[in-house]
Amino acid sequence: MAMMPKRGKHRKSQRGKMRGNASRCNFVAFGEYGLQALETSWITGRNIEAGRVAATHFLHREGKVYIRIFPHKPVSSKPLETRMGKGKGETDFWVARVRPGQVCFEIGGVAEDVAKEALVRVAHKMPIKCRFVKRRHSL
Amino acid sequence: MEKTLLLKAEVREHTGSKAVRKVRRQGRIPAIVYGHKQEPVAISLDQHDFVEGLHHGHRLIDVQMGRKKEKMLVKEVQHDYLGRNIIHVDLIRVDMGETIKVTVPIELKGIAAGTHEGGIIEEHSNTLEIECKVTDIPETIVLLVKDVHVGDALHAGDIELPDGVKLVSSPETLLVTCRLVAAAKTAEEAEEEMPIAPEVIGEVKEPGEGETSQG
Repeated sequence: MAMMPKRGKHRKSQRGKMRGNASRCNFVAFGEYGLQALETSWITGRNIEAGRVAATHFLHREGKVYIRIFPHKPVSSKPLETRMGKGKGETDFWVARVRPGQVCFEIGGVAEDVAKEALVRVAHKMPIKCRFVKRRHSL
Repeated sequence: MEKTLLLKAEVREHTGSKAVRKVRRQGRIPAIVYGHKQEPVAISLDQHDFVEGLHHGHRLIDVQMGRKKEKMLVKEVQHDYLGRNIIHVDLIRVDMGETIKVTVPIELKGIAAGTHEGGIIEEHSNTLEIECKVTDIPETIVLLVKDVHVGDALHAGDIELPDGVKLVSSPETLLVTCRLVAAAKTAEEAEEEMPIAPEVIGEVKEPGEGETSQG
């Protein structure tokens, strides 16, 4: 089941713009290895769930997968064969706004090669280019 | 940490984002020097030399500014949004006999006993604040996790620090835990937990109507 918020202030939202790069959440903070976004995109709850399933399935319950993004933004759409007008459509799905540099997934408690393989599988589920990153231990 | 490195620095006369961008284009890293109740000085360092030194574990550097040579400690390094390049460095003036507070990374060593029992090691904090002489700063603090079983936890107070090093962080700071991996939820369980539609804060449900309207 795709991720979505439990409660929200508004039912629908405007599209908005995503300028610039990620100025926070741009380094590995929880696990040892991470998957960093290199492009700007909306990532749907379904994409995130597919990534999570791909990683956990590959890891066979070893290690821990951290999801650093959450689909807070509702995206609405009109039903098929509907005439234009009559107001904004109903919420269809939920997305996370991701900018270049954002660490989307992290893995801890497994060897580097295993984490890399798992994150490659996650990257294939993402609609953007991603890269494998490691935690920066020192300065 | 007795390694020292000699770097030549140039004093920056122009500051601000535009001037700094120009400095970076020339293959240099903008830096700031402060400490010892003296005026802060904006300088620039050669990018290649500094990065090379940092990769070799140098934290204490001798900086030559004109004819003046000063001993400095790398206090903070800022990276770009992808974490690839260094964009700015903070340097603090130090004396060789001085005692200072620094943050040192923790290195986990060994395979925890708990991992054979089906658990995983979780690192809650990977740095530790310590107080020691400038010449005694350890590169890393080694934490042995060999005897950590499932349900065990290691705190900052449990670490054996080298001689001359004092702990500044709270001894109760949680560093490492070993816990069993939670059983994955089945698709049906996950579906039951998920709401069909999020609840809207402040929305009033009209009696007798299945649909909700914006309040």
